[in-house]
Amino acid sequence: MTELIHEADLDHAHPEHEGTGVEDRKLGMWLFLSSEFLFFGALISNYLLYSQRPGFEGVYPAEIYDIPFTSVSSFVLLMSSLTMVLAHNAQTREDANGARTWLFATAALGAVFLAGQVFEFTEFIVEFDMKLSTNPAASAFYLLTGFHGTHVAIGVIMLLSLWGISRRRGGLSDRQGLNLELVGLYWHFVDIIWIIIFTVVYLLSEPPV
Amino acid sequence: MTATAERPTTTIFRRPSSTKGLWSWITTVDHKRIGIMYGYAAFTFFIIGGMEALLLRIQLSQANGEFLTAGAYNALFTMHGTTMIFLFVMPASAALMNYMLPLLIGARDVAFPRLNALSWWIFFFGGIFLYSTFIFGTSAPPVGVDGLGGIDGNLAPGGGPGSFNFLADSPDGGWFGYQPNAGPLYSPGTAMDYWALGLQIIGLASLVSSVNFLVTVLNLRAKGMRLLRMPVFAWMTTITSFLLLFSLPIIAVALFMVTFDRQFGSLFFAAQAGGDVILWQHLFWLFGHPEVYILILPAMGIVSEILPTFSRKPLFGYSAVVFAGAAIAFLGFGVWAHHMFASGITPVAQAAFGLATMTIAIPTGIKIFNWLGTMWMGRIRLSTPMLFAIGFVAMFTIGGLSGVTHAVVPSDWQQTDTYYIVAHFHYVIFGGAVFGLFGGLYYWFPKLTGRLMNERLGKVHFWLMLVGFNLTFGPMHWLGLQGMVRRTWKYAPETNLEPWNVAVTIGAFIIAFSILIFMINWFTSRRRGEASGLDPWDARTIEWMSPNPSPEYNFAVPPVVTSLDHFWHLKYDEDAEGRAVRKEDGDQIVSDIDHEQLNPASPIHLPNPSYFPFFFALGLPLMFYGVIYHKQLWGKGLIVVGLIIALAAVIGWAIEPLEEPHGDDEEEDEIPPSPPSAVLPASGGEMEPVDD
Amino acid sequence: MSSPEHIHHPTPAQYWKIAVVLAVLTAVEVAIYYIHRDFDLGNFNTVLLIALAALKFVIVIGWYMHLRFENRMLSRFFTGGFILACALYTIILSALGAIALTR
Repeated sequence: MTELIHEADLDHAHPEHEGTGVEDRKLGMWLFLSSEFLFFGALISNYLLYSQRPGFEGVYPAEIYDIPFTSVSSFVLLMSSLTMVLAHNAQTREDANGARTWLFATAALGAVFLAGQVFEFTEFIVEFDMKLSTNPAASAFYLLTGFHGTHVAIGVIMLLSLWGISRRRGGLSDRQGLNLELVGLYWHFVDIIWIIIFTVVYLLSEPPV
Repeated sequence: MTATAERPTTTIFRRPSSTKGLWSWITTVDHKRIGIMYGYAAFTFFIIGGMEALLLRIQLSQANGEFLTAGAYNALFTMHGTTMIFLFVMPASAALMNYMLPLLIGARDVAFPRLNALSWWIFFFGGIFLYSTFIFGTSAPPVGVDGLGGIDGNLAPGGGPGSFNFLADSPDGGWFGYQPNAGPLYSPGTAMDYWALGLQIIGLASLVSSVNFLVTVLNLRAKGMRLLRMPVFAWMTTITSFLLLFSLPIIAVALFMVTFDRQFGSLFFAAQAGGDVILWQHLFWLFGHPEVYILILPAMGIVSEILPTFSRKPLFGYSAVVFAGAAIAFLGFGVWAHHMFASGITPVAQAAFGLATMTIAIPTGIKIFNWLGTMWMGRIRLSTPMLFAIGFVAMFTIGGLSGVTHAVVPSDWQQTDTYYIVAHFHYVIFGGAVFGLFGGLYYWFPKLTGRLMNERLGKVHFWLMLVGFNLTFGPMHWLGLQGMVRRTWKYAPETNLEPWNVAVTIGAFIIAFSILIFMINWFTSRRRGEASGLDPWDARTIEWMSPNPSPEYNFAVPPVVTSLDHFWHLKYDEDAEGRAVRKEDGDQIVSDIDHEQLNPASPIHLPNPSYFPFFFALGLPLMFYGVIYHKQLWGKGLIVVGLIIALAAVIGWAIEPLEEPHGDDEEEDEIPPSPPSAVLPASGGEMEPVDD
Repeated sequence: MSSPEHIHHPTPAQYWKIAVVLAVLTAVEVAIYYIHRDFDLGNFNTVLLIALAALKFVIVIGWYMHLRFENRMLSRFFTGGFILACALYTIILSALGAIALTR
């Protein structure tokens, strides 16, 4: 009798294959992240196009940046990459408590970053009257940072999910451990996009004369 | 017979376990079933898109035609283009890539089966979402304009007897959605939102698929299946996936920008506020040009499988064909502004893009000559798949030649926005991709059903379609050069364009008739076609080492590949002059393979069905309906509901247990081996039971 | 199936050191921003800031994302996507007049 066994994950059930030696899901994540350069590239170029084009009505983003504030939130996000990598490191040493702590820390730092973004946007809208519909440069700014923030938020949800799963089950299985590594890759990617945004959009951007 | 035994309730809802009935299709993660669903959906949209085209042609068969109002005409060519590109050719390619890729490389399934199901369901719901515009969409005259004085606008009543003016409320900004025409100021109402958000959903399906196929090809090949031993169709799937991976994010951003402009007041393309409308064209075509290579490369792969099989010769210059495909894809990223020669880009840009466009002719030419070289001195069998493959080579070459004339910038200025362009792209997409896809359907039909399609009907289909196709699109070359303008609902009698337009319309109906023949062939052959056996075409590649129709597990024992065209070399030796000589025990080898693959000796691990992909996909259109109507409370509510459903599905998916317990006391999943004569379809085959 | 052992795995101490480097680089960037505001570094400002950002970029990718120690193929895909994005968008920005690539 033939036995067909259905399982959710065939990672361990490959018969002998020609392959790359990289786990399927990890390879998939790297491919996906490679495509995200095209996504954020479009958003960043769009900002570069409009941010220094003269003649728009209303205030330009570069006129109202609060560099000290944004520097601090950039630092926060950068440090969240540290906590992320420490979480992964704890997982590889099978330190479930440590992994959970650092996972939560990463999510917390991410949440702080997001809170900072919300605060910054509120300031822009209320104090300086720069809304999505003020001018194309403002639209570009909000779309770029908004999508980045959305990516961070999704990351926070994934981090908290892993943290929650670990709490319920007393640790992460090998499969979930790989997922932690993959969430880490995603998280670092979101961080390096911010590295670009902070420099190019905040530090280097000047309003047209 | 499958017992649906109790499963431990490790998740909130019990794990799906059926293999028959609607629920089994909703929860399937089997790449073959997913491919079948893609195929039927794509073909349905082909028919719908075709009917849209016929309506257009009826209007154009008469000078100053009154059959359609301008508004209805605009909506029909918009939806015809959108449907054919995104809802027909792409999913039809996806159908064949899905069904065949694991078989071509000796794998059990794709790398991420649930993600594969997700792609399909996202596409399915996206297509429904897009087409629901015909029910829900609204269209209004541009802001501040009451009517366009003398010319029937979008909502003006009238049009000839039986006019289809009710269509005028549908998306009418063209499949390319140029701004600001398709923006909030000039296309108020919701129709173009359905268009933009519908495409957004469908794009996501393809992006997810591309990651899946790439990991599958990189990691799941059978032992000995080195990359440069893969069948060409597997290679073209890989290259197409790279194109999708890197081009879809661009259109995603562009569609978000247009949605935000339309819904949330942003000013990306608001010309009156300083927005740059040419930016839309750049972003759109930066995606749009790789998109056309996405449309054609799978079909080129199919043709590269069929020609060698029916010429009984190896593909001429296999490596060159593969690398040419990669070169086409790579160069294809650098030529997008050749769609914009008349939009005011600088002379330097025009020259650069014109030159780049011409270079693509080189790898394309390499492929064409290699196909010809494959057929040269081959012992050709003109079965239906072969007819379509040869038709592809001829028709695509014609389309490619008109393409070269477009690359010459001043010549393109004359051709732009005329029917000459319409002729070009229909020759390459229809004469190319569609002919290739039909070839693939006839060729791989046995894998699906264990039967052959009727040869006579197949040949009638081919010849009728070839004649109808050339009658439809051939005259468009000179109609265009005589000045017939695109995207315009009527032309004056003084232009003398009518006679050839009548011929074109007749051609279109001949095409429609030929499709009817195909459909009759398909449905009767599924039930009563001649049994195919394992190797009906005396084929070369390893997908034919799996029984027909395909068992759920594909291969009982994955082949260990020792060369390109591995299956062929199992059956044939070469004589002193390098000619193929069938081994004495060739037939025995084939029947041994059939027997071995139908009778697995040890347990086979297959991916578990799941309903989470279905529900995650369901959440997306709900959210997007909410976005369109977000100004109302219930719209906001829909966004929340959709988000919750999607989120719940993702979490359920993430915690779905790794393994269902299996052991002696569990009865589920035992499927008795199929009888040796593979006439009865196993569970991996077609939807309806076979009448015998 | 557990992840294959990596040949090199930075220790937590090394990760902390890298974090310090990243923080310092960020501080330097902000400092340069202010110096430019007061003393106008001209184009040098742009070059410096891009270089510093690039350095942070590479450090996070190479060590935190571990790409330095991974299969070369992953680097190729990732770098490929990055270069493709840079090339395509540079051309678009040039065509739209935002940057001057040609005379």
